[in-house]
Amino acid sequence: MKKDLKSLDLPGFIVNAASEVFDTMLSMALETMESVPDEPADDYRYVGSVSFTGDIAGNIRFGLSGAFAALITAEMMGMEPGEIADPADVADVIGEVSNMIGGDLKSRLCDAGWNCTLSIPSVTMGNDFTIRTKNFDVRETCVFRHGEHVATVEINVKTTS
Amino acid sequence: MSLKVLTVDDSKTIRMIVKKAFRPYDCEVYEAENGVEGLSSVGSVKPGLIILDITMPVMNGIEMLEKLKSVPEFQDIPVIMLTAESGKENVMRIVKMGVKDYLVKPFKDVQLIEKAEKIVTLTPKAAQGAKESDGENYFKRIDDFLVLSLPENVARPVVLDIENSLVPTLTELKKKEVNKLIVDMQRVQKVNVSLIKAILFAITKCKETDVAFKMVGKPKLQEDLKGFKETSELPVFATIDEAKAAF
Repeated sequence: MKKDLKSLDLPGFIVNAASEVFDTMLSMALETMESVPDEPADDYRYVGSVSFTGDIAGNIRFGLSGAFAALITAEMMGMEPGEIADPADVADVIGEVSNMIGGDLKSRLCDAGWNCTLSIPSVTMGNDFTIRTKNFDVRETCVFRHGEHVATVEINVKTTS
Repeated sequence: MSLKVLTVDDSKTIRMIVKKAFRPYDCEVYEAENGVEGLSSVGSVKPGLIILDITMPVMNGIEMLEKLKSVPEFQDIPVIMLTAESGKENVMRIVKMGVKDYLVKPFKDVQLIEKAEKIVTLTPKAAQGAKESDGENYFKRIDDFLVLSLPENVARPVVLDIENSLVPTLTELKKKEVNKLIVDMQRVQKVNVSLIKAILFAITKCKETDVAFKMVGKPKLQEDLKGFKETSELPVFATIDEAKAAF
């Protein structure tokens, strides 16, 4: 029995998933925010993305600055942020964090009757790019802060059946 | 003979976390990036334990497991599955595949070790003598005391090494009735957050394992530690002999 997609607490799922990943893997506490603060943003950004397909289609996008991505990578790999030489290492960590957040959301969706499978994560990085999404039934964005760093997790979903 | 552990995961990060988790134990950890590489490694390495991710390119963990179970020579190798999905259906599917156990990401290395210890015997490296970590010996046994000697610069990797190795070392030495730990900070040049974390971790683990705890450091370090709320009240002795006498 499928629960109404719009009745699901998708922001709650995102907050729980992201907080759990950051706490368990990174020993970092996340604070939720109402919106992205109006502060100068780091030019270099990473966006980790995982897609769902099945009764429901969509994706989650985990976006953050290069500096925050480096901090997370350092914490995960047991290094100092300045010691990270290979951007591929940062991309791998951001992909894995996206996978964990996406995996938890997918589980919540499946438990609500919306069966779907999860893609392998992909990571986009660079300066000055915009990702636009269209034709989804539900779109939610959660904003998090850890110290001076801000990250967003966006979910876009639509039914396919 | 060392236990051979094979970690099959497309994420270098997860493979590294698995390697780090087994570092305090007498294990050789081998890596593969997908199911195809994993099967090839099983043939050449003949592991005693496989830590297998589900979602991977080329060949995923489920396909690899099916192929593994179809080969009589390999079908009894214990497998712990890693999955990012905790949903009921996914868990049921994993259980039906005949794996020994599974772990939902995110996970802490201690959770992985707990699962592994239920399946295989893990021997702490401390049982063989002083702990080797990246060429650095942090632990030394002096009479009835275990001395944890911190290096000049206590950076994050040092803390992680200590977090991974302290409990197995304390547990092993407690069996030999060594139940006093001295944290020797005489070489430490600077108080930083990593040092505070290392001290608090040692205090917590000593309490949990019922091991008495003392610290040794230079006067400047003693003063600097007073600047941190968590360490401001902790006594610091000037020499190891003073600390020994205070137990």
